[in-house]
Amino acid sequence: MNCHTTNRFIQLKRRDVLRSGTLGIGSLALSHLLTSELQAKETHTKPRAKNVIFLHMVGGPSQMDTFDPKPELDKWDGSSLPSELTKGQKFAFITPEAKAIKSPYAFAPRGKSGMIMSELFPQLATVADELTMIRSLRTNEINHGSGELFFHTGHGRLGRPTFGAWTSYGLGTENENLPAYVVLKDQHPNAGPAAWSSGFLPSKHQGVQFRTGKKPLFYLDNPPGVSSARRKDVIDTLGKLNALAFDRYHDPEIETRINQYELAYQMQSSVPDLADFGSEPDHVLKMYGLDQDRSGQDFAKNCLLARRLVERGVRFVQVFNKGWDHHQNIYQALPNSAKNVDRACAALIKDLKQRDLLKDTLVIWGGEFGRTPMVQENNAGTGAKTAPGRDHHKECFSIWMAGGGLKPGLTYGATDDFGFGVIENPVHVHDFHATCLHLLGIDHERLTYRHQGRDFRLTDVHGHVVHDILA
Amino acid sequence: MKSVLIKPAFACLVLAFSVCCCAQDIDFSRDIRPILSGKCFKCHGPDENSREADLRLDLLPEAISAQAIVPGSPEESSLLERITTDDPDIRMPPNGDPLTDQQIEAFRNWILAGAEYERHWAYEKPKVVAPPPIEHDDWPRSNPIDNFVQAQLHDVGLEPTRPADPAVLLRRLSLDLIGLPPSVEDVVAFERDPSGEKYEAVVDRLLQSKHFGEKWALHWLDLARYADSNGYQHDDLRTMWPYRDWVINAFNEDLPFDEFTIDQLAGDLIPDASRDQIIATGFHRNVPTNFSGGSKVNEVRANVLHDRVSTTGQVWLGMTMECCQCHDHKFDPISQVDYYELYAFFNQAIPELSMEGPGMFRKQFIGADLPVVASPDDASRVKAITKQIALEDAALENAKPYALAEQVAWEKRFLASGRGESIPWERFAWNKRDGYRIIQQVSQDRRTEEEQLQVHALLFYDHRFTGPYEKAIDRLQDARDELVARTMVMKDSRDPVVTHVFQRGNYLTPGDRVEAGVPDVLHPIDSNLPANRLGLARWIVDAENPLTARVTVNRLWAEIFGQGIVTTPEDFGMQSAPPTHPELLDWLAREFMRQDWSMKRIIKTIVMSSTYRQSAAVSSEAIAIDPSNRWLARGPRFRLTGEAIRDNLLAISGLLSDEIGGPSVYPPQPEGLWKEISGADVKIYPTSEGKDRYRRGLYSFLRRGNPNPMLLNFDGSNRSSCVVKRDRSNTPVQALSLLNGPTFVDAAHAFADWITTAEGDTRQKITTAFRRAVARTPTPEEITVLLQLYQKHGDWFDVAQVILNLDETVTKS
Repeated sequence: MNCHTTNRFIQLKRRDVLRSGTLGIGSLALSHLLTSELQAKETHTKPRAKNVIFLHMVGGPSQMDTFDPKPELDKWDGSSLPSELTKGQKFAFITPEAKAIKSPYAFAPRGKSGMIMSELFPQLATVADELTMIRSLRTNEINHGSGELFFHTGHGRLGRPTFGAWTSYGLGTENENLPAYVVLKDQHPNAGPAAWSSGFLPSKHQGVQFRTGKKPLFYLDNPPGVSSARRKDVIDTLGKLNALAFDRYHDPEIETRINQYELAYQMQSSVPDLADFGSEPDHVLKMYGLDQDRSGQDFAKNCLLARRLVERGVRFVQVFNKGWDHHQNIYQALPNSAKNVDRACAALIKDLKQRDLLKDTLVIWGGEFGRTPMVQENNAGTGAKTAPGRDHHKECFSIWMAGGGLKPGLTYGATDDFGFGVIENPVHVHDFHATCLHLLGIDHERLTYRHQGRDFRLTDVHGHVVHDILA
Repeated sequence: MKSVLIKPAFACLVLAFSVCCCAQDIDFSRDIRPILSGKCFKCHGPDENSREADLRLDLLPEAISAQAIVPGSPEESSLLERITTDDPDIRMPPNGDPLTDQQIEAFRNWILAGAEYERHWAYEKPKVVAPPPIEHDDWPRSNPIDNFVQAQLHDVGLEPTRPADPAVLLRRLSLDLIGLPPSVEDVVAFERDPSGEKYEAVVDRLLQSKHFGEKWALHWLDLARYADSNGYQHDDLRTMWPYRDWVINAFNEDLPFDEFTIDQLAGDLIPDASRDQIIATGFHRNVPTNFSGGSKVNEVRANVLHDRVSTTGQVWLGMTMECCQCHDHKFDPISQVDYYELYAFFNQAIPELSMEGPGMFRKQFIGADLPVVASPDDASRVKAITKQIALEDAALENAKPYALAEQVAWEKRFLASGRGESIPWERFAWNKRDGYRIIQQVSQDRRTEEEQLQVHALLFYDHRFTGPYEKAIDRLQDARDELVARTMVMKDSRDPVVTHVFQRGNYLTPGDRVEAGVPDVLHPIDSNLPANRLGLARWIVDAENPLTARVTVNRLWAEIFGQGIVTTPEDFGMQSAPPTHPELLDWLAREFMRQDWSMKRIIKTIVMSSTYRQSAAVSSEAIAIDPSNRWLARGPRFRLTGEAIRDNLLAISGLLSDEIGGPSVYPPQPEGLWKEISGADVKIYPTSEGKDRYRRGLYSFLRRGNPNPMLLNFDGSNRSSCVVKRDRSNTPVQALSLLNGPTFVDAAHAFADWITTAEGDTRQKITTAFRRAVARTPTPEEITVLLQLYQKHGDWFDVAQVILNLDETVTKS
């Protein structure tokens, strides 16, 4: 399947045109509208998941303090790591000679699977048996902007389509009334909108940002003094005149435009409804921690909104969470960051499971890279001495996934005694992308788009599906 | 998405045209090379490292010596055997679908006929072509463009559409030449006399309009990836609007495209370069730059230079070279060495980035820049301030003798009081600290002149005679700095910089050394040309270059017709879409050069054609036969860019400011966007007041880290890389932007006010308002529909909103 030759994702909406017989749309258009498909595009293989919720912890969580215990590091605390390990390695701020620093957190096996997690995630621990942990992720980039771009586009510079855009392009949409790719964030990632860009794919595949709160989209509200009824009159008049223009030009873009205005009108009420959690039962709100004011509520709201979006057929929900760039004072800051997401992550898994959505949804949690086993003790900006932290690290980091098609309870890949490099079952970001696409029924080598004379892929010329983690 | 509208029956019809062409005679470029390139070259092409079985199919002698192809004898050609076999283990291509029977037949016939290779058309100079004769006397023709287009129409069995309605044509022309709608008066005058002479007079008038440059600059700024910030983390602001204004002026003055090219690529290297020519080199300083915490200066530099090579390739040569950073091109005859030879031209630039500074986050540009002022007013203010500084300087000089006379006493007092120690060290500017040391350590009679001067400097800083003057001068200098910005320009090192191939594209693993040079597949570079960017620029616009003129006219054509004659405007290589009208492309390219690379003249030639002047109003059947209008049996019709829609709505409502140039402005945008930018120093968006809220879109401040969402909703780019072709999506968020976005609500209110005071009864008001937006007269039915809306609520605002949101208003028809 070479997708660009059969462009079959149409943003048309049929029923409104069909309902209003006065529009004078010709028979050709009608037949087109009747056949415009909304069902998912044909996939290469049987999909194991239909939707993705990608929880990106902006900044890069420390693997040694969360999901990849390194007891050996205790012995090296305060000493430089073996130079053969660190020689020639790129770091953002520290030098290869920087001293190792141990993790102060207790790790323990969780659930029936005995998945090891640190004490920072007590709630997540209760769903350990639903998770698939990968400790051997690797990336190419050590800076946030380029690291985020690499994590989402497989390329460290601006200009390429993101994983979500590829998914929208490859699978189309299941809900004509909502974008296929929605972005929720409590922090703008460093790469900015490039982190949800459609790159060289058609721009309709770019992520659409929904904001936390009652007004998730810009320009949703009518101007002051314009009632919904009056707006409806404007839309109807516009539809009539555009239909007359269609009679003149027969340009199918006109029909599309008529429909988009109708859809816009509906979104003015449906989108705020979507973001209104009033219909959620108390126990669900409580599960997410939204029954009372807590810190990190923006993330919890985004998780609940993500579920509501997936439930309505949104293909890909990208969530960005702030505050994981612990260069300094990590042992004050990291527990807070973990606390901000722990309950909501666990709630999301449980909620999806209870609604039987988890089997069709791929949930991903991780940052753009990991952190060094070595300490950073100076402020990156001023050079002043600070409480200890950890620098950016690309050689290994931990992520977890859950849902459709994965082996639950599995911990995959291993790093060396320091958490510095991968020693078993490395999973490069390209492999991660290949595997995620595979779960969605897409062969990463066959999902291509012709750009600049070349058939581009999310995985560029790399990537292998990690079959070991598939159920 | 027009393409989906092809009914199966029509699709077959269109396909049938191409089939019957192929069956008769095989054209290598049309029938064979696309298959070779698409299916074979990846493993049997120019890239040595990915070559399988040591077989090359891109060079005929190699293919023959491997017996893959035996000219005249398909049976003996192993290529044919491998593409026809049923054995999946040896069938080629190994992945993907096998070749179709039709493709196999084409190969068989081609080998039978002698297997002649041709060089890819784009690497041959444009041919001298005579406009073909047309037998249809009744088809209107205005210039040779029509002959080429109509010859093709005749071949595919279509015929041109009637000319567009004069009002619609005038609006189309106005949108194409100045990006704004015509006034109702101009439309009425043209309707009265829509003759060819009158039309040409309007074309000439619009080409002379100062808004012509604004309209055409926008398209170029996408290519130049022009923006007002660096991109990436921090996303600091930069001053590049002088470059933007240079582009506007260059279009307005019709700077010939060869000079336009040379100035932007190498203006700084032209002997006795003018200030404008140096500002033009901002083209390649527009690259986004990553100054974030851990970035490495050499890595950032390599990325910047890769971008310059890639952008130059796409914009001028229609060559996509990014892949050659790591390996030879898989399809096009461009080697990795070719790539780094081009890279070497750009590698001569002086260091432009510093990762050093007071804090590790304080990265900065250290490359060449020029002082600029925002307006003539500011320029005269700077002049006045400079004059005042001179006066203060003179006064200071006058005061110095007094100061000198007092120096001995002052120094004594200074040291005795211990005030020297008590004055905080920081209060002394850097250059004055030495003065204090000298007072303490060197007695007056043993001081050198230099040391004495330094003590004076210290003395003046703290002295009652000279202090006031110095303070005044400092203040004036600060005021002057406020008015003078610095814009980035190119500059080369005096000493040559050595360039190496980066193995696998990694700047940390340099390989063989290369010298600046041009790809072997193209014309050689004149040995008299300097081996620097100026030489490269002159080579690019050399009449021998087969690509530059074609690539450029193709883009100008696409701006007007909605798509190029080559629909992959950034790529004219092996994988490009074959030109729909190859002879027309060559004719236009030669015409462009013959007319001294005048962009205005070639644009005029295009809009003077009858092809351009056709109506876009056709039947559904006609659209189904050719949904994308590649055969041009009708006039162009497509949605305007986001900037153009905004400009039009402001113009229709009467709000548009017609001021040209100057620093970027800050029209209203949703709150808090700049606060969201990670690590940003500048977080407050300084929303403009007054007329600056309603300037044309190309003057809106473009911050890469979080651009105005309205722009993005309409497929605008954050200009993080060269954009050759924008999408034209059609989405509900566009509707929301136009109905509820504050600027457009302002426009609707202003337009409603305008309608209220317009002459005539309500039907007449509606008619004029409608014509302001779409030029043509509304039908009685259309007027009635709008009248009903007005009568229902008694408010022109609703009518204004409808007219501003019409499909026809946001579309060029």
